[in-house]
Amino acid sequence: MGSGTILTREPECFAPPVNAWARVGRQVLLALRDTGRALVLLAEAAANIRYMFSRQNRSEVVHQMFVSGIKSLGVITVVALFTGMILALQTGLELRRFGQEVNIGTAVTVVLLREMGPFMTGLIIAASVGSAIAAQMGTMVVAEEIAALEIMSINPVRLLVMPRLVALALMMPFLTVYTNAVGILGGAIVGHTQLDVSFTAYFDNCTRFAENKDLYVGLFKAFIFGLIIVTVACHQGFATTEGAVGVGRATRRTVIISFLTILTMGYFITRLFYT
Amino acid sequence: MIRFEKVHKRLGGRTVLDGVDLEIEQGETFFIVGTSGAGKSVTLKHMVRLLTPDSGRVWVGDDCVSEARGRLLERIRLRFGVLFQGAALLNWIGAGANVGLPLLERTNKPEQEIEKLAREKLALVGLEEAFSKMPTELSGGMRKRVGLARAIITTPEIILYDEPTSGLDPVTSRAIDQLIDSLRRELGVTSVVVTHDLHSALAIASRIAMLDAGKIVALGTPAEFIKSDNEKVQHFLESQYITKRGEWEKAVSL
Repeated sequence: MGSGTILTREPECFAPPVNAWARVGRQVLLALRDTGRALVLLAEAAANIRYMFSRQNRSEVVHQMFVSGIKSLGVITVVALFTGMILALQTGLELRRFGQEVNIGTAVTVVLLREMGPFMTGLIIAASVGSAIAAQMGTMVVAEEIAALEIMSINPVRLLVMPRLVALALMMPFLTVYTNAVGILGGAIVGHTQLDVSFTAYFDNCTRFAENKDLYVGLFKAFIFGLIIVTVACHQGFATTEGAVGVGRATRRTVIISFLTILTMGYFITRLFYT
Repeated sequence: MIRFEKVHKRLGGRTVLDGVDLEIEQGETFFIVGTSGAGKSVTLKHMVRLLTPDSGRVWVGDDCVSEARGRLLERIRLRFGVLFQGAALLNWIGAGANVGLPLLERTNKPEQEIEKLAREKLALVGLEEAFSKMPTELSGGMRKRVGLARAIITTPEIILYDEPTSGLDPVTSRAIDQLIDSLRRELGVTSVVVTHDLHSALAIASRIAMLDAGKIVALGTPAEFIKSDNEKVQHFLESQYITKRGEWEKAVSL
């Protein structure tokens, strides 16, 4: 059950690049190497899912589901509610010009199910849970706790990464369903109070044009975003060097890389299922 | 037991170990002393392959740890217990759970038995009452003792101590010294201690090596070490009010 990869890495020192091209080339190579390492980390964590119900891990998985899922509900509620309200108001004001404001339910539901629900949930979780994971892993590296685990032949990937991966992979679709529901409710409130669209008409429209596929693809995106967030956060955390400054850097990089990867993957998943 | 063969290591563009040859015998308490940046902790980390030599080899028994990977590295590491400078306890579980962690993770022992063993080891380091406390509730000295209890719960053959007395008051430091010494006497473990604290070294070491700029400049028993004519050794001794004329005994007693 020991670690397949050595997570405790030696500090790196490179000679200064000879010119700008060498600098760019080095950055590209390092980015490729980091991507490879992150994918190896993901694969190793996935391979350790078989230990999910072991006595060491079962309570940790549940704890991480609570931390990453339930504790995020507050911020998700506020963001989802106002996103639904903004969507309804913007589309409703345009549709009113054509006397079609009754269709805001369709617009809000399709946009949330297909894109905004998983995307917003991904961003919120990357900024809150992802950054927290990176900071925790980074601090553990700095405090030599990861090194201590490795010397005790305790696999940090199984002990730390796998429970977080399972927890977020399960909770992201759940949180996305919640985001969609709250967002649609926010749209209904705006429709009723600002655009004179009754709740009945709004919810009738919600279900008329939305397809099951919209929901499934959205949930699939959420699942993939969960994997991305944990992989990026743990990889960045484990790569921390230079003490507290390094922990800050790992946290910042986690948020930036997660945002960019979620955005990019969101596009490719949409293209895969809708073209 | 542990052998360094011409180990060279550069870190951050600086030579940290410069051809270190070293042999540590089974059952001895071996101290590595030196000023900050001399390469003491780097030497220690090579023994469990937290660092890999640029050239040269490190042996643990018949196994070359500097080239080991996978299961072999895991098997070599299981021979060690390590007390880190900051104890490296996991902050989200209690002291007892930290001590029992290696057994929980590596064995199929029932949890009640692990708890009993963890309590025994905590009692051995004088911290029976700390079982349920979180690491954040413990003082620096207590954390180190919990770290030591965790290091010995798997009854390792070799225990590595990275600055075990740094940041501790003299009373707690001497208590840690006694613990290290009693582990050698009672369990027969080989101990490797990295420290600035020459008082500890002279009190309980079998042999002392002094590192300076990546090289071993002195090696011998405490009696030989204190009599060394090496300028670096003498300067280091004097910096801690220890001289070869026996005044160190007076300084310690003060």
